[in-house]
Amino acid sequence: MIKNKKSIYLLILKKVSPVFFILLGLNAHSQSPSANQLIHRVYTQLQKAKDYKVDANIKVDLPFIRMLPINAKIYVKQPNKFKVESKRIAIVPRQGFDQLNKILSDTNRFTAIAQAKELVGKVTTQVISLIPLQDTSDLILAKLWIDIKQNLVLKSLLTTKSNGTILTEYSYGTNANFGLPDIMIFTVDIKKFKIPKTIAADINTNSKKQDDKDGKNKKGKIIITLSNYLINKGIRDAVFVK
Amino acid sequence: MFFKSTYNELIKIAAKPRSYLGLAAITLIVGLILMAMKLDGGMYISLLTGPFEQSLTFEGNLLNGNLVGFIILQMLIIHVPLLIAFVTGDLISGEAAMGTIRMLLTKPISRTKILLSKYLAGCIYTLFVLLWLAFMALIVGKWLFGAGDLMVLKSDGLVVLQQNDVAWRFLYGFVIAFLSMVMIATLSLTLSCFSENSIGPIVSTMGVIILFTIVGTIEVPLFDSIRPYLFTTHMAAWRFMFDEPLQLKDLWFSIFVLLAHILILLAVALYKFNKKDILS
Repeated sequence: MIKNKKSIYLLILKKVSPVFFILLGLNAHSQSPSANQLIHRVYTQLQKAKDYKVDANIKVDLPFIRMLPINAKIYVKQPNKFKVESKRIAIVPRQGFDQLNKILSDTNRFTAIAQAKELVGKVTTQVISLIPLQDTSDLILAKLWIDIKQNLVLKSLLTTKSNGTILTEYSYGTNANFGLPDIMIFTVDIKKFKIPKTIAADINTNSKKQDDKDGKNKKGKIIITLSNYLINKGIRDAVFVK
Repeated sequence: MFFKSTYNELIKIAAKPRSYLGLAAITLIVGLILMAMKLDGGMYISLLTGPFEQSLTFEGNLLNGNLVGFIILQMLIIHVPLLIAFVTGDLISGEAAMGTIRMLLTKPISRTKILLSKYLAGCIYTLFVLLWLAFMALIVGKWLFGAGDLMVLKSDGLVVLQQNDVAWRFLYGFVIAFLSMVMIATLSLTLSCFSENSIGPIVSTMGVIILFTIVGTIEVPLFDSIRPYLFTTHMAAWRFMFDEPLQLKDLWFSIFVLLAHILILLAVALYKFNKKDILS
């Protein structure tokens, strides 16, 4: 009798377990989208804003550059138009607002690999690395920290041949449904800046002060606070002509 | 009597063709710089922004009247001493060379007052040259290039000053530059008291400036102790006004060194002129 019971249990286990594991796998699959799916969702969300105009407060905290915060207007239009309009001198990262959009626009150019989950603030994010498929690509490596629930990029680390490495942190507010942040914090590498005193005509600068600085690159931050978004109101191409 | 003597000295300066040489040179050089900036100012902007261009983009009107004015001042402030020494180095020795100094000293006015009136006239000429430079650099520069934030190139980085924060800096910068040029005027006047011809003090003034500039620029430990006390080290002190935050300690030290040089040289000139044996 006992033997019969055991054989029945074993039979059930043999027949049911594969189905159980398949179901379990499917369930898990539906909860954690693949890297490509997640990238597609993020890109689709970003595409909702065909164009936008936004007020920006740009605070520069970079080594070798001293300046006060300034206000500017930023215009962006899909697929690749971008302009900063300011009466003052504005310094913005070379790869900034539209770079992510450009990279994500062609999924055939990179392989997306899902990595570990990490906390960014209090939000659990999926870390995804984008590796270019072509040697000629300007992108060397992109790493994105994506909030799976809202399909928002909370942090990105882009390394390109032309512009070096830039880390961007995003904070979202009322325009999160368009994937548009309220605050962007760019961390950039700045090459050591030193030019001859004779060129700068800066002969009374104490040379000892300069020698204190090491020869390595230094990191600095540009904090851009964005407000008053005007999304999908239509922006003429003439606005982007410099 | 002192002011009448100063007025006479100003008329003498105005009557000499060499007094207009400096103004003509400034007009020509500034004109050329403005033209070059208008045609190819982007090259200079690249020099400013080049080290940051890999990571950063600079937006806005970078090449504006404030920047052009600053560049011109930076370039010309090194050459203006020569133009000033042309006139102030001739104030005493010129009279000696022409033989008019004997007659000048027969006037019922002390030698000290004669020298000081010449000195004051030289300072007024210096002010006029600087005002002309300021007009050409800033007013004409702004007319051609418009206004905007000022990007100052320093050997250890960039300072970006907002447009509405620049005017007072230029004003005080000119006051300090005037002090530097008065120092040159004092030096050439002092040397002029020792000479019987015009060329000597002018060449000597430039020689001293070149020598001290070389000593001040060469980074040799031997010169470290004397460098802070050379007047040439403080000739560009006007640039302190374009620092953020202002290096007030350094600025006041520069002003102190320049004033000390002026007072010492003026005392030497007064002593020499009062003791001078007029033989011409």
